[in-house]
Amino acid sequence: MQSLTNRVKPVDRKPMTFLEKIYLWEIAKGMMITIKHFFKRKPTIKYPEQKREFSSVFRGLHILNRDEQGRERCTACGLCAVACPAEAITMEAAERKTGEEHLYREEKYAARYEINMLRCIFCGLCEEACPKDAIYLSQTFTPSNLTRAQFIYKKDDLLIPDPNKDPEQYAKALGDRKRPQ
Amino acid sequence: MFIHIDNKTYTVKAGKNLLEACLTLDLDLPYFCWHPAMGSVGACRQCAVKVYKDENDMKGRLVMSCMETVTEGLRLSIEDKTAKAFREQVIEWLMTNHPHDCPVCDEGGACHLQDMTVMTGHDYRRYNYKKRTYTNQYLGPLINHEMNRCIQCYRCVRYYRDYAGGDDLNVFAAHNHVYFGREKDGVLQSPFSGNLSEVCPTGVFTDKTLKEHYTRKWDLTMAPSVCNHCSVGCNTIAAERYGQLRCMLNRYNGDVNGYFLCDRGRFGYEFVNSENRIKQALIRSRTNEAATESEIMEHVQSLISMSKVVGIGSPRASLESNFALMQLVGKENFYQGISEDEAHLNRLVVEMLRSGCVHSVSLKEIEQADAVLIIGEDIWNTAPMMALAVRQAVVKTAASQASQEIKIPVWLDSAIKELAQEEKGFLATLTIATSPIDDIATHSWHAAPDDLARLGFAIASYLQPGKIVNTDFSEALLDKAKKIGDALKKAKNPVVITGTSCYNDNVIKAAFDVAVALNTGERKTSFSCVMTECNSMGLAMMGSPSFSVANENIKTNGHATAVILENDVYKHIPSANADEFFNSCDHVIVLDALHNATTEKAQVLLPAATFADGDGTLVNNEGRAQRFFQVIPNTTSQVQESWRWLKKLQTLKLHTLNGHALHPDDLLREMETALPQFEGITNVSPKHDFTIHGEKIPREPHRYSGRTAILANKNVSEPKPFNDGDSPLSFTMEGYKGTPPSGVVPFFWSPGWNSVQSVNKYQEETNGALRGGNPGLQLFKNKSDARDLFFNDVPESFVVAKDRWLLLPKYDALGSGELSSYTAALKTLSPQPFASMSTGSLQALNAKDGDMLQIVDAGIMYGSLPVKADENVCDGVVLVTAGLRESMGMSWGTRVQIKK
Repeated sequence: MQSLTNRVKPVDRKPMTFLEKIYLWEIAKGMMITIKHFFKRKPTIKYPEQKREFSSVFRGLHILNRDEQGRERCTACGLCAVACPAEAITMEAAERKTGEEHLYREEKYAARYEINMLRCIFCGLCEEACPKDAIYLSQTFTPSNLTRAQFIYKKDDLLIPDPNKDPEQYAKALGDRKRPQ
Repeated sequence: MFIHIDNKTYTVKAGKNLLEACLTLDLDLPYFCWHPAMGSVGACRQCAVKVYKDENDMKGRLVMSCMETVTEGLRLSIEDKTAKAFREQVIEWLMTNHPHDCPVCDEGGACHLQDMTVMTGHDYRRYNYKKRTYTNQYLGPLINHEMNRCIQCYRCVRYYRDYAGGDDLNVFAAHNHVYFGREKDGVLQSPFSGNLSEVCPTGVFTDKTLKEHYTRKWDLTMAPSVCNHCSVGCNTIAAERYGQLRCMLNRYNGDVNGYFLCDRGRFGYEFVNSENRIKQALIRSRTNEAATESEIMEHVQSLISMSKVVGIGSPRASLESNFALMQLVGKENFYQGISEDEAHLNRLVVEMLRSGCVHSVSLKEIEQADAVLIIGEDIWNTAPMMALAVRQAVVKTAASQASQEIKIPVWLDSAIKELAQEEKGFLATLTIATSPIDDIATHSWHAAPDDLARLGFAIASYLQPGKIVNTDFSEALLDKAKKIGDALKKAKNPVVITGTSCYNDNVIKAAFDVAVALNTGERKTSFSCVMTECNSMGLAMMGSPSFSVANENIKTNGHATAVILENDVYKHIPSANADEFFNSCDHVIVLDALHNATTEKAQVLLPAATFADGDGTLVNNEGRAQRFFQVIPNTTSQVQESWRWLKKLQTLKLHTLNGHALHPDDLLREMETALPQFEGITNVSPKHDFTIHGEKIPREPHRYSGRTAILANKNVSEPKPFNDGDSPLSFTMEGYKGTPPSGVVPFFWSPGWNSVQSVNKYQEETNGALRGGNPGLQLFKNKSDARDLFFNDVPESFVVAKDRWLLLPKYDALGSGELSSYTAALKTLSPQPFASMSTGSLQALNAKDGDMLQIVDAGIMYGSLPVKADENVCDGVVLVTAGLRESMGMSWGTRVQIKK
């Protein structure tokens, strides 16, 4: 058959010699490569005792932010949802009532806020779209889970701890980020 | 006419202004104060363009395009640097005090101000000072007020005061403190206030009912729909998310509602989400009432094969559903679910319109009429949008006369208003009681129906002497008739409007006679008759006998199973008669969407779809068949269109199951064959398999968000998008992206135009028909060779009886409506049931204002009602609120006794 390109290499189908048939030399060659790796630097770390450093711009699990008084910043404007290329965010808005000013920063808030983490591609476009600094991607990743339903993150799963009630956890969740103005 | 825009030559229509011309040519030019329905005032300075003297003029001058008429060979530039800079500066200055609160604003994503800001290129804020702030007002349960967002375009007051005739919204203060609102907090009085949310280019006035379940426009699944709450049939857009109907928007139809809706239509949608919805098929005789579809089918099948079956149709169910019931029970066993009195009137109206001797008028044509005569119908309360159209006719007649006198274009709004002042076109309202529309009437007269009819016949006889045989009219009546007749004679396009709410056939006959007498060679006269429900006309055209006949038949023959289609019989028929009917039926099968008095009588209950979860066709009072489309995907509940239930039963009965899906198109085709009066009805909308380049038309905008998350809380594995297959519309965001055929436009959107103002891009010309013609199919044709139908039944004048009162309904613009009253906001604005009588009648009864009265008719006792004294109700008549949530069927138009 005429070859289509000049890069064709014909396969050598000669029968193996006796030395080749006992494989000893080939095994020794392979072992040499294995032994060489004992003296190389390890690419893995001993998780969970040891944890890998994330880059400061790592995009991990989403956090719904609060302001310094502990009020939710999200106004359910829907821009994160519309920016999301995986269409993984959905929310329902509600009007803040009088007496709820300590809970929500502005006159609207998200009554329901859900992210489908199985669909999320962690691109960070939601963070970029947010006009209220209400959602950001933190420096930790989504933990594994046994059921798929557990990957639908609700508002409770996403909200940052209250800075007044739990300042330690709040600071931890905020990470390297500057406190929002 | 040719004009040159940016060195390109275009053909435009003469008489338009430059802004309209540019928008018609699909060019983007920003504007605020101009509105296609309200004309130009040149207030916002946003639509500036450069106009050049001739091709050698390099300098040009800035003009406001909305204030300049197109002239032959005109040269203008939109793209000119100075013009662009001017527009950008204007918007920057408009935005100085705007709060930039788009994330919490309901208008965001459908905001004309956002669109125009982006269009002009103003993207950076330089104003660093304190913004002025206002206190907002409470404007009632329908409209939300947020004055800080205002950009002072004045559209709201121009709409509310000048267009809709309201007087409780105004503009206050001056300079940088202009305030649009009421004198003090309070409910907006106009029943057209909902349009403020679409008229306002930003978020000052927004839909308050939407706030309860707010969704951005881009997140809504939308489908073209038709309003269900009166017989006018305004076109609407129904919008859904999370399986709930979220809001209703106006769908422009140049022949019907144009840019506006009444509040009953806009806000009366909440019954779809009601707790009271029937979602589960029930068999009442069993311990476990809930039944699966196959169980219920089998059960109903055995019931209807056992005995004679009687089908009761409905004036609020679609044509398809009524026809499917007619097919199931047989033509001879199908009855209209309304009283004989109403059915008789409806038959009369059908006969009149079918004769083709006068034109059946559309709302748009009413707007263009130069004289209007209303006999016997309080259209403000029974067909609000028609009242708005009549108002335009009255105001515009004066305006167009003024504009012809000194040759200024009609769109030059403030100049025309200045010229016309209080001058108004001719309107005569001859009704039973006062109505807000009387304020703009030249003549208004309130009398008993028979007297109104006599005046009508007197006018007809004055217009064409000798035609009416019996002419024993009094001098006073003849004098009135002469005045009105003379004014009508002067008109070129007079319109005569009447209605069935008087329950008096002579009124309708008299109105028709006036229309026929006027319809001579030199003028084109049109006629319109308001009916009670959204498909009253469709049902009447089917020509079946009334409920009363069904009742008689069952009483004499006995043993029958009744199938009742989407009809609360107790709302149409006095309860004693309805009870009698249900007692003589062996079995009662009811299909309905909401629990009501009739469904309580049902042994078998089938959950029917509303306009939002089903497809169907309605015929409005004009005879215009209009298709509405499903918008709520139905994947779990048993709810389906009544016609689908009935058709399934029929196939089961006839063993004709062939495995094919059933579409409304198939039903309409069968209907065309069976009932020739519906000829052409299959063309009412594109067929279910219609596609453009193989693509369906998406119900969702291309920015629809959260597809993979929206149902994830219910089912993580994403289900296939719902597909009903009944229409050329799909339940996804994929599909044909251009302008769809006019009847299946699910929403108005165009690149750069996210707000409702994008309707410009769907019209052939601004304010004109939608591209490809306005949707809807007129079933009544004008016949040039029609023999004039003329009635000669002049009634005796009304005589006040000593102890009998004529019982007539009194409707309310917001409160009346079997379904719309489920909206909590409308319910709060609805009056409590009451009766009203003249002081003379009250004296005769020895009662006073506020007393509780009991109405008794032929032994039937109705509940007692508080009575109000009303000077304008004539003696011998009692008006009782009708159509309210609490209202039940009464023997309207009969003489009843009243007990204290």
